[in-house]
Amino acid sequence: MPGMLEIMVQNMVNIPLIQPLVDVLLKIPVINYIVALILWRPIFAVLIIPGLGAIMLVLMIIVWWERKLTARVQWRVGPLEVSRPIGGVMQVMADGMRYFFQEVIVHRNAHAIYFIQLPILAFLPVLLPILLIPAGPVYAIRSDYAIPAIVALIALIPVVIIAMGWASNNRFAYIGAIREAFMYFAYEIPLIFAVLAMMVLYGSGDPFVIVEKQTVPGILLNPVAALTFIIATVMATSRLPFEIPEADQEIAFGPFVEYSGILFGLVMTLAYEKLYLMSLLLTILFLGGWNGIAIPILGDFMPPFWLFLKAFVFMLIISLLRSIYARYRLDQALRIGWSSILAISIISIAISYALVLTGWLP
Amino acid sequence: MTGMKEVREMSIEVPVEPPAEYESLFIPVPKEFVEDAYRKDDFIVFIGPQHPGSGHMRIIVRLKGDFIVEAIPDPGYVHRSMEKLAENRLYVQNIPLLERPAIMDFGNYNLGYVRVIEEALDIEVPERAQYLRVLLAELGRIGTHLYDAGILAVFMGHTTGFMWPFAVREFIVEALTHITGARITGSFIIPGGVRRDVDEKVLRMIGRIIFTIENRLEKFERVFIRNPTVVARLKDVGVLTREEAIKYGVVGPFLRASGVEYDVRRVESYEVYDDLDFEIPVGDDGDGYTRFLVRVEEIAQSMSIIRQVIDRIPEGDVISSDIEAISRNDIRGSFYDALAKITLPAGEYTTLTEAARGTLLFSVLSDGASNVPYRLRFVTPGWMYLKGFMESLKGERLADLQAIYGSFGYFPPEADR
Repeated sequence: MPGMLEIMVQNMVNIPLIQPLVDVLLKIPVINYIVALILWRPIFAVLIIPGLGAIMLVLMIIVWWERKLTARVQWRVGPLEVSRPIGGVMQVMADGMRYFFQEVIVHRNAHAIYFIQLPILAFLPVLLPILLIPAGPVYAIRSDYAIPAIVALIALIPVVIIAMGWASNNRFAYIGAIREAFMYFAYEIPLIFAVLAMMVLYGSGDPFVIVEKQTVPGILLNPVAALTFIIATVMATSRLPFEIPEADQEIAFGPFVEYSGILFGLVMTLAYEKLYLMSLLLTILFLGGWNGIAIPILGDFMPPFWLFLKAFVFMLIISLLRSIYARYRLDQALRIGWSSILAISIISIAISYALVLTGWLP
Repeated sequence: MTGMKEVREMSIEVPVEPPAEYESLFIPVPKEFVEDAYRKDDFIVFIGPQHPGSGHMRIIVRLKGDFIVEAIPDPGYVHRSMEKLAENRLYVQNIPLLERPAIMDFGNYNLGYVRVIEEALDIEVPERAQYLRVLLAELGRIGTHLYDAGILAVFMGHTTGFMWPFAVREFIVEALTHITGARITGSFIIPGGVRRDVDEKVLRMIGRIIFTIENRLEKFERVFIRNPTVVARLKDVGVLTREEAIKYGVVGPFLRASGVEYDVRRVESYEVYDDLDFEIPVGDDGDGYTRFLVRVEEIAQSMSIIRQVIDRIPEGDVISSDIEAISRNDIRGSFYDALAKITLPAGEYTTLTEAARGTLLFSVLSDGASNVPYRLRFVTPGWMYLKGFMESLKGERLADLQAIYGSFGYFPPEADR
């Protein structure tokens, strides 16, 4: 019976670039377990890339990038004073430190238990989809139902946000939670339809099959589905022009109005984490997943690298929306969601069926 | 198991006692109002004074679902008792005091108050000084409208629309610095003229500034004014019909947006406005978007006025010969000798001025003996259109409150005085 170490070493991520270093480290008694564990494929996928480590990297860079880009559009400089030589990238870290040492106030009227645990619980629906998002050879769980399962798990995040608004017991938080619930239904159905259209097109819910079939990226095969997915992503991550549940000038950050300190830090990053997950899904469905130019020296690290890069570039582009649009009103957003977006999502399913039935796709 | 159960009428005992804070915080709503709202399952929301979209005031909003049934203003958080303060200061010391409500718009505020003194003492103002006064007033008007456009933008979440007008306004501030020496609150207009002459170079620079602002505003138009989300948010929102606008005493651009062509600069012209060509932008719809567009058009008209002023300004003195000044081009050195002993003859003197946000009224009651006003009445446009603002909120959605607020450019320090 092989030991724990053998199991992990047999199924390790093979990166030629750092292989000599790994070989050395595997000879040291205790370190070898740690190295083998981190490089064990399932753990590597969940913990490093496209999992937790990548999320942290995204949070650090995307918040900085969004502020810097907005500043450039608005004839300003943006964050600069913290770590001036590298353009203020460390600003996010500084903000995080501030959140961490700030007092967390739990007001008298809040339901304290839910109020405190919900921001932490919110990480569950953020991290669970990572289990099912493969990056080529680096994956945790392979399933025929991975894509529907990812969509279902991402759909849990608004539930947590609504619960936060309820536990806050504040009028603005309550209004924000109601808005979140309304928006949830407005984008979720078109989003599911768009994903469904692509699953019809590829004939499978398995990301491996989907990526394999994308010799031509999905965005060219079914642009309508891609458009629906992108708009639904913008609505789902409450970015402008659909930043309606948070609307700081109207309802003072809605469900998050009572949060302070590190708890606010946690809830504030939720939208970015969700954006990251949906960008990964978009990359797999529409942008050819982890297909990319081969870089032999990266070995097994190459597919996650391409997957991450495509998702990240999409996030960088979508950050520009913030400096272009004003916020729609709730009823306008609902009208858009339930009429035009729903209509084009249904059209996208029809397009997929037409492509499959006419045999344009193998 | 039990089959049919007896149908009973259930009623839940909901506490209808208003919170104690309603009394201790002097909230201006009667107890019955709160109890009635609780019974009818309405929602009372306090917007302000510590709210990102309220300014220094509180709006008590009664909601039915998402719709505003009633909006009650609770202003006065930045009340500075200017009318009372003015009674303890020399006439000339009141100039810097009374421009404080709208610091960007100091030209019009100075002008309104100084004209009261000039009217009472019958002081003739040299033509060059009159042109310079118009220049200041119009620069202030552009600056204020840009400021309000920025606030409107940020209330709708459009941060670029907030930053750009503020950046453009910086050019106006620069021009004011070159004229008066202060970015805002210039206190430049004095009884009998202006403080000192303005150099030809400065006037040419203002001409170039106007050119730059025009270019930048074209970009602003593409990003904000014609932005589909902005149009969607402001169109048909907070409508005041012509009759309502007149009934509620709305003034200035907001009255003109409802289709009433009333501008003090035309109706009771002062300074050299009669000699200048400008149009009065008037809208028809009376909604938020029209209120905004009217002010955008006013910026264009003000720029046209400034160009005419720069072209036509005559040479000559800037201080009236009725004032005992050492130099007719600069009041420095003889300021207090000339102006501190001003005493108005007994009587009441009133002027109307078209400030950026609307009609501004100054009324001074003098006892004829003292060198301070006996009573000074001072009605700012913000206070005048507060009622119209509150009425236009009714029937709109809660999310529209900030859009309507921004479309009125309501400025609590100005209204509270």
